[in-house]
Amino acid sequence: MTTRLGWIEKWTLRFAVVGLLFLALSGFEGILLRIQQHDLKILQPMEEVLNSIRPVADKPSSAELYYSMMTAHPIVGIYGFAYLCVFGAFYFLVPFLLKKEIRHKKLVSANFWLQIAGVLICWTSGFFGLFNALYTLYWPLPVSYEQGVPLLGSIFFSVGAAIIMVNILLFSYNIFSTVLSKSNPRSYSYWQFLRSALGISRLMKWLGKEDKNAPNLDYNGLSPFVVAVARGSIDTVINAVVLLTAGGLILVYGLAKLFNVVLPPGAVDALAYKNWFWWGLDMVADGNVLIYTAGVWYLLIPLLVGRKLFGESVVRTVIMVDLLVSLGVWSHHLLADRTQPLVMRLLSGQFVTWGEFFTMGLTLFASLMTIWLARPVKLTAPLKFVLGSMFGFMMGGAAGLIQANVGLNVVFHNTQWVIALHAHTFLLTGLATLLFAVIYALVPMLTKLEIRSQRLVNLHLWLWLAGCVLMTYVMGRAGSLGMLRRTLYETPNQFQPYTLVAIIGSLLIALGFVAFLVNLVSTLGWTNVLSLVVPDRWLEKRKAAAEA
Amino acid sequence: MDARERRWLYVLIAVFVLVNVITLSPLVPWQKWLLWSNPEPQARFTVEFKDYTIQLPAGGIQASAGEFVEFTAHSADVTYGLGVFRKDGTMVFQIQVLPGHENRIVWKFDTPGSYDVRSTEYSGPQHSKMFYPDAIRVTQ
Repeated sequence: MTTRLGWIEKWTLRFAVVGLLFLALSGFEGILLRIQQHDLKILQPMEEVLNSIRPVADKPSSAELYYSMMTAHPIVGIYGFAYLCVFGAFYFLVPFLLKKEIRHKKLVSANFWLQIAGVLICWTSGFFGLFNALYTLYWPLPVSYEQGVPLLGSIFFSVGAAIIMVNILLFSYNIFSTVLSKSNPRSYSYWQFLRSALGISRLMKWLGKEDKNAPNLDYNGLSPFVVAVARGSIDTVINAVVLLTAGGLILVYGLAKLFNVVLPPGAVDALAYKNWFWWGLDMVADGNVLIYTAGVWYLLIPLLVGRKLFGESVVRTVIMVDLLVSLGVWSHHLLADRTQPLVMRLLSGQFVTWGEFFTMGLTLFASLMTIWLARPVKLTAPLKFVLGSMFGFMMGGAAGLIQANVGLNVVFHNTQWVIALHAHTFLLTGLATLLFAVIYALVPMLTKLEIRSQRLVNLHLWLWLAGCVLMTYVMGRAGSLGMLRRTLYETPNQFQPYTLVAIIGSLLIALGFVAFLVNLVSTLGWTNVLSLVVPDRWLEKRKAAAEA
Repeated sequence: MDARERRWLYVLIAVFVLVNVITLSPLVPWQKWLLWSNPEPQARFTVEFKDYTIQLPAGGIQASAGEFVEFTAHSADVTYGLGVFRKDGTMVFQIQVLPGHENRIVWKFDTPGSYDVRSTEYSGPQHSKMFYPDAIRVTQ
């Protein structure tokens, strides 16, 4: 069945489809990385074939290829899959909820193409350029050319990252200008918005110095979802600006080296860089992900269960606190740095991080109470995935609090616990499951088509969750036994039984994803899928020819 | 705030206090000297990191169980990690080794035996080879 898609509906589906293709690529890389983690030599025949198309003079080692792929993997997963899906969903939902059009329509297509270009350039700099400094880019590793960091790969990676960050700034600008434009119940200037978003207006009121002319972001008719998008986008902007400066620095050193000018890496202090970099990077990991997620729960759950959100005034405050907390948590990435002042490790690293326990705890409580009070509820596809995502954020958050502890981090830092039980539980069981919920909710809204098979929905849900739990818990256990992340162990080693089970888990995840894709394509139909990439006039010609 | 929300907030506060008090207390053994006291080390060792190699002190690292030992690590190029592991692969402790900084930790080994040293931070594709079995010998 074909359905006539509107302009923004079509763009939303385009963002989602390309985002899912990036998830497939990132997932495929993840499985290859798991296999190599189990036995580095096992993929050598495939490497031989791929090396024949790589424009490098010397054949790269398996370790170089492994770490190049590991560098590209999170860029594809986060900035390819997650960000594209978020762009698409927000470009539909924000104007829909505000009952007005997106402010700068041309930026929508620009965001689509720039994000794809940036991610593919980063991926190419890993696949062909063998850039392998990982996403953490600890200074001065990305500019340590004498130690084998590929110069051209480093330059291309920085350019790709810069395109992504500039594009994110453009997206944020479009969202801000849509939310803040004059047709709101009350319009804001950017400065007024920032004061309100950071709670300064509320603080002044509490201190008895209320500015009666200041707009109140929380009680101005905006839905909690829009408030969360607006506040979370402050983190998004900070993240993009900070990473842009880090990428710019690497680019300056790379271009200088290209023109035989030697810049001393020691001119930049490794600890200061690490603080700056993690402050910015955490605006995603501990900032916009949590705030956007809360916003989506606040939007979807009342829609799905047909009941007003429980404790709405509290959750508006929670969103504000979440933003403030995200500005101060970065030191939990520096707990193993004994040169980082103890007061920073304790305050920012441990105690402020616990702020997320309160904000997420209250968010989950409000969300679950809304469902509980709406009983009996129908467990629709999006609601099942919303519940799955809550489970993911609970488990990933609990693991995070254990490692973000001044005492326990001594034995958990940089282990598989961190990347598997915390990060991948957050990203796969939490965030990706939520994005699936959004897709299951939005497809009928956008296309007027019902999801084709509930059996495939259930298969997707259980294979995905079981695979994620199996993979992350078994690797978390290996981490608690001392297995490091980003480390290739000689074979045989004591961790191989764990990596083998993790491979089985990752294959279950892949099977769940295939069930989802089959269901999605059979729901949309090939004609609708094609209409996302083929100009309308071509399809109309084809239709006319068929009718003739 | 609704009474149910208030009760839930109290639960969250209780968990926060409980977990933080336990993990900051000497119930986590190394907190005794990393957080609550500043013991004078009986032995000091300097470890140098450069070009994917770890240079241990000339006579090796030998310590007695129960005594405080100070490790100071320097890096001449990129960021590494100084990690000490038991023979079964479980971690004893680790610190980041940042170039341009003096990275120190004081530790007390409880159990005699041999310990391995491994770099715990990614420093380039050769990082995984930075493994030194039996680098530390702890006697009774």
